[in-house]
Amino acid sequence: MIALAIAQQTIKEAFRRRVMWIFLIIGVFLISLGPVFGFLTPRDSQTVLRSLGLAAILLAGLFVTIVTCIYLIPAEIERRTIYTVLSKPVQRYEFVLGKFLGGFATVFINIAAMGVVFLAMIYFQERRIPAEMFKGVMLTFFQMMLLAALTIFFSTFTTPVVNFFLSFGIFMIGNLTTVTESLTTKSNPLVRGVGTLVHYLLPNFGNFNIQNSIIRPQIEIANEQVFLRNNILYAIIYSSVLLVLAILIFDRREV
Amino acid sequence: MAAAISIRGLTKKYVDVWQKQEVIAVNNLSLEVEEGEIFGFLGRNGAGKTTTIKMLLGLIFPTAGDATILGKPMGDNQVKQEIAYLPEETYFYDSMTGWDLLDFYARLFRIPEPERSRRVRMALEKVRLQPEAWKRSIRGYSKGMRQRIGIAQALINDPKLLFLDEPTSGLDPIAHAELRDIVASLKYEGKTVFLSSHQLADVEMICSRVAIIHKGKLLRTGTIKELISGERTEITVQGKELQNGMLAKLQAIVPEVHMDGEDTLRLTSDDSERVAAVIDLVRGAQGKIISIVPHKRTLEEVFVETVRKEDNTI
Repeated sequence: MIALAIAQQTIKEAFRRRVMWIFLIIGVFLISLGPVFGFLTPRDSQTVLRSLGLAAILLAGLFVTIVTCIYLIPAEIERRTIYTVLSKPVQRYEFVLGKFLGGFATVFINIAAMGVVFLAMIYFQERRIPAEMFKGVMLTFFQMMLLAALTIFFSTFTTPVVNFFLSFGIFMIGNLTTVTESLTTKSNPLVRGVGTLVHYLLPNFGNFNIQNSIIRPQIEIANEQVFLRNNILYAIIYSSVLLVLAILIFDRREV
Repeated sequence: MAAAISIRGLTKKYVDVWQKQEVIAVNNLSLEVEEGEIFGFLGRNGAGKTTTIKMLLGLIFPTAGDATILGKPMGDNQVKQEIAYLPEETYFYDSMTGWDLLDFYARLFRIPEPERSRRVRMALEKVRLQPEAWKRSIRGYSKGMRQRIGIAQALINDPKLLFLDEPTSGLDPIAHAELRDIVASLKYEGKTVFLSSHQLADVEMICSRVAIIHKGKLLRTGTIKELISGERTEITVQGKELQNGMLAKLQAIVPEVHMDGEDTLRLTSDDSERVAAVIDLVRGAQGKIISIVPHKRTLEEVFVETVRKEDNTI
């Protein structure tokens, strides 16, 4: 109940930040430009709308997630609001859990809002909503959920600026899974060691990108259900591990 | 009477990342606060007052020593059901209304409805926040209204013990007096108040006991009566003869001598025998005694004297 109260409070605070709205509006604006671009480019308008929409959700979602989550805990410390919360019968784990839930919910609402606009555009153009579109939006949410967990984890012990570069950097590296995977087979033991560490330790964001198969129906994912289930489980388990680590760190942190 | 707070050898040291520079914020602090009293915790900025309070609340961790609050170890989550804290210059969640803020804090105590709404209303009434402001965003609140909502959030759980850090600083005289009276009234409800303040006139008026802390070290503790005991007498004397050797004689009796113009001196002493000796000396030198004013010591004088003495600046 306490974590839920903190989560609700976190959502309210997140939505009063203008910068979050700016990225959300940019995302919605880009998605709604899909049909216009479809007319202007020589490519198939359906492909343009699908790729632009999913890319806009990913990009706006990325910035919304980072700018929302890097401040969740530091802002409480900086404004000293945390004193009035932690001096009440609130366990530190409840505080961190509340922040995680609030952060996830904020990201979910944003992705859902952009997703609704995207699906509406798809329906407007194709007069139907293919199931792949739902899957694409859903996987973007789980990808952002993992990023939110990572960002909140870092926010328990770093400043927002450091956190921004760390989270953004790891998101970029995590998207280069084919590169990091290739490093694990190199002959140089140092490169192989670092490559293996990076590939298996850092979150694998690349696995959530299924835009190619969505945009081009001829590309098929073998065993799609297992792929989706495993990716969702991966996001949930990795986020849970980050949550536990964040709690352990925050439990020892002086505020 | 049982101790509401019992501190034993509480110490907080900060070291830099290279473990070379060490700052002792609180140094082996021991004191007891009894249940039902308003206890003044005095010190200059950076003396270690807030650090002490934060350790007692479990927000930061002591380097050494320990403390009990209402009989339980400091930082204990159970004891937090019965205590409250108003930090200095807190920013509350600005987007919330006063009512919603208190409702949020009440939820942190797991207070169910309709009791929660009753508590919120009572706290808002207690701090005399105008009802039209209850449903307004805190962003538009004045400093005085913010302090009122701060005290209200500290009252939401009907606590036995309150830690108030500068509750009346930066307020206009009316708001200041009203909030001071609210804090004073808590004593009559049987609550214990640990009051950290620079408003020494307020502390003198409402606290039963005080502690003076300086550079993390406890310098003095006692009742207000004990600390300000002993009158000082200010004597103003006049006479042309006073300067011709008399000044040195007077200074030998009372070191605190101030020249007021060419032929007027002001002397201050807290020793009645010395006062009498000064009077005799002045009369013998045909000087004129303009006034003899007994002057009660104030807590501010005691505080300044104590701190300066420690700094060896007296």
